[in-house]
Amino acid sequence: MTPTVPELLQGNFIALIEPPPPESSGDFLQSRVAVTGMISLLCAQEAERGIAARVWENRAIRALLTRSAPTYGARFAEAAAGEDTDLSLAAMDRANADLRRALIDLHIAVETARDATLDTEIRGLYVRMADARRLDLPPLPAG
Amino acid sequence: MTLQDQLEAYLTRLWETPARVTMIARIPGGASRETYRFDVEVNGGTRGLILRRDPVGSLIDTERKLEFLAFRSFHGKGLPVPEAVALEEDGAELERPFFIMGRIDGGKAQSPFTVAPYGEHARTIGEQFFGHLGQIAAADPATLPIAEVAAAPALDACWKKELDYWEGVIDADEEHPQPIVRACIRRLRASPPPPAQKLSVVHGDYRTGNFMHDGAGRVIALLDWEMAHIGDPLEDLGWAMEPLWCYGETDRVSGMLPREEAIAIWERASGLKVDLAALAWWDLFASVKGQAIWTSSAREFRAGGFRDPVLGLSGWYTARQQDLVLANRLAALEALA
Repeated sequence: MTPTVPELLQGNFIALIEPPPPESSGDFLQSRVAVTGMISLLCAQEAERGIAARVWENRAIRALLTRSAPTYGARFAEAAAGEDTDLSLAAMDRANADLRRALIDLHIAVETARDATLDTEIRGLYVRMADARRLDLPPLPAG
Repeated sequence: MTLQDQLEAYLTRLWETPARVTMIARIPGGASRETYRFDVEVNGGTRGLILRRDPVGSLIDTERKLEFLAFRSFHGKGLPVPEAVALEEDGAELERPFFIMGRIDGGKAQSPFTVAPYGEHARTIGEQFFGHLGQIAAADPATLPIAEVAAAPALDACWKKELDYWEGVIDADEEHPQPIVRACIRRLRASPPPPAQKLSVVHGDYRTGNFMHDGAGRVIALLDWEMAHIGDPLEDLGWAMEPLWCYGETDRVSGMLPREEAIAIWERASGLKVDLAALAWWDLFASVKGQAIWTSSAREFRAGGFRDPVLGLSGWYTARQQDLVLANRLAALEALA
């Protein structure tokens, strides 16, 4: 996913280390620091859950592609081949990008075939995918 | 030369009289342009102004002349819209394109990330918020300054013009495949809405965070018109009620009012009738447009060397929240027939 945790934390470092011009201190700087704080907090969640979410999503997409291949074509089984052996975020994201492209193609084929059952299943998968990657920002008090 | 020096030089030339700039300070928000507040002393008096200058990188690519003329279209028309003062598309003394507008003091804009952002004034603010939006929808865009630069689509082409544009943004800026928003786009194309009942000025970003209130229940400024255009008035209504702007509240839109009441207020103010099926299309479109904006944010964050944390947060956290909204909306649609 973009941006990545390393990019975000690198951005936080740059935002905090670079002295702002005089006209950008005050409210602007305070807001900027608050945003870097939010990013740090959310990066902690990503460190905690990010790998698990990607492992789950890649497995779920592979399973769906494999099951759909007899009806929609062997290319979906080919796209689902393999497994995640490198569990770094970068490697998982590379594999995920390929799997998501295949999922998009499958969903288009399903829609073209008016396959309501599989379409509903894919839409349900989308909800679980989005939920697995959810980040929880604590509510901010109204100022 | 500091920004203060540049502004003094520009305003002195513009007004052909010495102008002294004081109290210049960048303010947060308005992420598509750098925004500064400042005072200017001229002809023995002091005036509060706002500078909106193009940044190097931005959340949204927009025409500053269009935003400038949108302010000019609604200032002094019974809506709390600041005065458009000056526009310099070539940047003049400030080196980058900018415009200057009047400043409305004494208010605050709420973040969409706050809980119950309007407290005890939620209803009063909601009545004004949706009432003002209805007034914008009621206006005839052909008679307003914005018509100089904003194209007027055919009534039955409003939806396609917008969907084509925002899908194009995703095509151009996407760095990781997004099956959810792609499926939503296909659904929108497969079931287009009916033609717009009229052409209206569409604010384009009418939501919590883009207006100021005085803390006592009065909306005092409608801001951030950078995505203004001419189109279907339901587009703004869908965007204003996007779930992303109300921090998980399900019983009130924008943290203000129940959805049905918001629609009724808008209908009274606009003189228009809401076709709920058409609005459902614009609701889903709003979530697609949001994801396009966050997709661009992620790309700009990278292109800008990770320097703007607002772009980083928008391209990451907000994008994921948007995916949740999109996925749930898609799942709630009827099964394929």
